[in-house]
Parts: sequence; structure tokens; C-alpha cells
Amino acid sequence: MTTIGQLLLSGLLIGSIYALMSIGLTLIFGVLRVVNFAHGEFLMLAMYGAWAITHFLGLNPYVAIVAIVPGMFLFGMVVHQLMIAPALDKPHLVVVFVTMGLSILMQNVALMFMSADLWDVPPLLGGRSFTFGPFYAKPELVIGFAVAVASTFALRWLLKTTYLGKAIRATVQDSEAAMLMGIPVPRIFLITFAGGSALVGLAACIMMPLFSVFPTVGLNFVLIAFVIVVLAGMGSIEGALLGGICIGIVQSMSSYYIAPAYGQMFFFILFLLVMIFRPDGLLGQKGASNIGIND
Amino acid sequence: MKAAATPTDRLRKRWRLLPERGTVSLFEIVLFAACAVLVAVRLPQHLQDVIILTYLWGGLALAWNIAGGYAGLISFGHAAFFGIGAYTSAILNVKVGLTPWIGMWLGGLLAAAAGTALALVCARLRGPFFILSTLAAAEVVRIGALNWATLTGGPEGLALLPVPSVLNMVFASKTTYAALMLGYLLAAYVFTKILEGSRFGFYMFAIRDDEDAASAAGVNPLLVRASAMGLSAFLSGVGGSLFAQYFLYLDPTHVISPELSFQFALLPALGGLGTAIGPVLGSFVITPLSEMLRSYMGDAVSGLHLAIYGGVVIAVMLYFPGGMAAALQHLAGRKRKAQ
Repeated sequence: MTTIGQLLLSGLLIGSIYALMSIGLTLIFGVLRVVNFAHGEFLMLAMYGAWAITHFLGLNPYVAIVAIVPGMFLFGMVVHQLMIAPALDKPHLVVVFVTMGLSILMQNVALMFMSADLWDVPPLLGGRSFTFGPFYAKPELVIGFAVAVASTFALRWLLKTTYLGKAIRATVQDSEAAMLMGIPVPRIFLITFAGGSALVGLAACIMMPLFSVFPTVGLNFVLIAFVIVVLAGMGSIEGALLGGICIGIVQSMSSYYIAPAYGQMFFFILFLLVMIFRPDGLLGQKGASNIGIND
Repeated sequence: MKAAATPTDRLRKRWRLLPERGTVSLFEIVLFAACAVLVAVRLPQHLQDVIILTYLWGGLALAWNIAGGYAGLISFGHAAFFGIGAYTSAILNVKVGLTPWIGMWLGGLLAAAAGTALALVCARLRGPFFILSTLAAAEVVRIGALNWATLTGGPEGLALLPVPSVLNMVFASKTTYAALMLGYLLAAYVFTKILEGSRFGFYMFAIRDDEDAASAAGVNPLLVRASAMGLSAFLSGVGGSLFAQYFLYLDPTHVISPELSFQFALLPALGGLGTAIGPVLGSFVITPLSEMLRSYMGDAVSGLHLAIYGGVVIAVMLYFPGGMAAALQHLAGRKRKAQ
């Protein structure tokens, strides 16, 4: 019983980290209908940033959030203006291959400057764990869980109540009508893409004490992020949190009871099953794939 | 075509200078003749390596193009079909002693079965959903191959006997391999040419361009999608077997990697999607270029050649989304206007 509880807890915590990493992708997909294949490389870039700030300035990786999040917002704006916006009015394929090219470019520029070595930062509290009764949890994971939940609800609040959020939702529902109502749709796309990138920056700072950074670190995580985004019902922000937690629990359970190596295989199978039987995602409404962000 | 076409008109229609759908052009004949010459002349070993890879990648890009370019089924999971083909013939060769000359067809058939099954499973998915599902399916195959060690050798890999023998399709001379790969490339090209001029080819274009209209006109989308994916996977599987016979070593991390799937998709995209000559041009330009960059700059700055490659992909897709084939078409169009 304790084992199951511990596995559930570990799955919940690691899953929330996966969710945090996927929220930016979900937002971008939901609004621009663009799958950013360079999402993992955005994460990699921000992790290198967080590592550099921790390593050279001797600061806590969580302090790096102050610099990394605005930095990634700017980076997202530049990428959007240079590559995403010009590709939006072209066939869907173009943006797929452009983001893929960007992914190859970023990975190899990182390899050129940072080599293939693994870099990490020292764990919090000297690597000690919190104990909750019979259960253990790393403090980094607990912080990650709190940040993931907080950002999910903050983003939800932003989309529901603020003017910007309403403009984003209007753009998702019908971008032409939104434009006729005076919403600057290209600017909404720009802000969304940059905001999604900033969220990856936040995730990177949270993940830096947990994972090493290397040029291809993004590939492992981006596959998980794709699975979560689709599982959630494309574009659903709360869905991404629940989807992430599902993946985390599936991974920790199957790693313990079957074999660690098969852990990843199970969530890809889960993903394919959901795609076959519920193409709109676990929580997505019918036709979520056409609507984008859910209300 | 008008009934009153004179024989010279018909001849001109038949013998185009530049590649077009449904005809054989001078350009293609010269290109493949040059390929044959490159095989025949005794180039230095490292250049022979480059042409072997160029032909193999060209054939694999053509295979991907059938699904991705013609039928609009953008797959980022073709490494799975490639891997299934490679492992099938290699395992049959190592464990049962079956010659790869038969094994490669079985590998292709197994890959075709997997491709058809994937297309049926993903029947309701379009756009990004389809792309991500193919990626996930390939990951399932990769992790499966990695862990089914009794069959595939797992992470340690599977080695074929490096003893030259015609029966085992292992050759001492690189010229033989180059001829083999050219044969594969030519077969894939001729198959593609026949396909794009056939009724089934037009079904694929119809499904790709407007599925609703196509099915209203009596084309069965599911059947076309499944067959296109099956044919494409078959060719990829055969290519995988040839790859295994050339490298004589397979491991799941390299043979079924997502990077490999991306490579299969990027070559046709750069060359020109949905054309027969596009994937060939893509491989003929990109493969030697990246091999050269790798050998001249790879030691000095690792990653530089792929960084350049990534930049080229972005620039081509943004500014020349039709790829190199579209540039050729453009030339052809200008030429005809001038006549």
C-alpha cells in the first residue's frame, strides 16, 4: 500500500513538471494551430540559460526565472516575427518543416558552443527529501508541482477574465470575425507565441535542479509534451495539467511494476489508444481539434 | 490531347527537356546515366561511400514522398518501417540463415503491413494529429526493439557476418554496393513515375487536395490512404534491408530514431514534395553536401554541418516552399513561353 502511495505521489509530482513544460506548447497550438517542433530546443536553450546564471553568478536556479522568462519572451517574439508569421499563410507543411529546421539549427548551435557534455546544478537542501508520513518527495518536485498548478490557474484566469485573454479566445474561435471586431490578430499571435516561449522558460528554471542539460535534452521532453498536448484535448490548459499527471503516474507505475525501460512505451501506447478512440482528447470537447482552446 | 496532334507534336510531348508528370524527360535520362557512370568509374573509397549513401537516401526519400508528398500523409514515423525492414532481413539472415535476397522482400512486406495498419488506426486523424501519432507509433517500435533483446539484440545491436558472399548480400567491393543502391533508387523512381501517372496516383492527389470532394466523387479515402502508406512503407522497408546489408550492424537507437524519420521527410521537402524528381534532387544535393561538410568541418567544430543544414531547411521552406523541383518547373515554364 505504501509502495502504491509512493508511486502515485512520485507520478503526480513528475507529471506536474511534464505538464508545466507542455503548457506553452498547448497555448501555442491552441491559438496558432502550429505544432512547434522546436519546443524542446526552446526548453534546452532556457535550461542552458538557467544553468549559466546558477553556475557563473552563483544564484539559485529559481532566481534565474526573473531573467529567463522575459528573455524567452523576447526570443519567442523574434522567432515568431522571423519564421512563424511568414509561414502562417503558407500550407500547413511549411511551418512544420520550418520549426523542424529551427530545432536542428538550435540543437547543433548548442553542440558547437556547449559541447555534448552534461551540465547540472547542485540539488536543493543538499539532496535531502521532504517526508510526508511514510512518503518521500524531493523538494524540487514539490516546488515544481506548486508552480505547475499555480501557472495553470493563472493562465486560465488570464484567458477567462482579462481583455487580452478574451481577445485570444475570440481569435481562436474565429480569427476573421475577431479581426473585424478590431482585435489585432497578428499581434495576438505574436503575444501568444512569445508567452508560450516564456512558459517554457519558466519550466526550464524549475527543471534545471532536476535534470542535466545537454544539446539534445529537448527531444526526450518534447515527445512527452506532444503526448500531453494531444491527450489533453488540444489547447485545453487544465487538460494539459491532468494529462501530464496521467503520464507521470503511468510512467512511475509501469516503471516499477513492469520494467523501467518500458515506461515510455506505455504512454505512447496510451496516446495511440486515445487517438484511435477519442481523437479530441481525454478531456477535450467534441471537435476540440477544430476549436482550439476550450472555454 | 487533341486527336489532330501530329507525330512531331506527340514526340515533343513525350520527350520533355525537364521532368514532368507522366512523361520521361531528357533531364532524368541524363541524370540517371550520370549516376550509372559514377558507379562504373572507380572513384576513391570515401567518394564511393558518399554516392552509396546518396542513392540510398534518394530511394528512401522517394519512398517517403509517396505517402507524404502524393497522398498528403505527413509521417514522422518512417524510421519504424525502415527499421522493421532492416531488422526483418537481418534477423532472418542471422538466426535462420535465410538469404537477404529473399529477406528484403519479406522485410518490405512486414513494413507494408505495419504501414497499412498505422494508416487504418489513424484513419480519423488529420494534420498535426496524424503527424504526432506517426511519431508516437515509431517510438513504440523503437522502445520495443530496444527491449526485445532476444530477437533484436537490444541496445548492444545486431551484427551481420562481415564475410563477403553473394548469397548473404555482403560484398567486398563498394562498386557492387553502389550498383545495388542505384538499382534501388531507380526502382523507386520508376515505381513513383508509374504511380503518379496512374489512376491511383490521381486518387492520391485528390485525397491530399480535398478529401471531401474526392470522396464525393467516389474515391474511397480510407482505401487510398492505407494503400499509399503501405506502398511507401514497403519501399522504406526494402531500403532498410539494403542499409543493413551495407552497414552490417543495426541498433534501435540509430535505426529507428526520430531524427531518421525527420531526415526521410526533410529530403523530399527540400527537393520538392509531390514530384518524382524532388526527393532525388533533395538527396543528390543534401547528402553529398552534408557528408562533405561533416568530413571537412566535423572534426574542427562538431555540429556545424547540421547547424548549416537546419538554417538551409528554414530558408528553403520559407522562401522556396516548392523546393528544387519547383525551381526546375519554373525554368521549364519560362522556356516554353520563350518558344
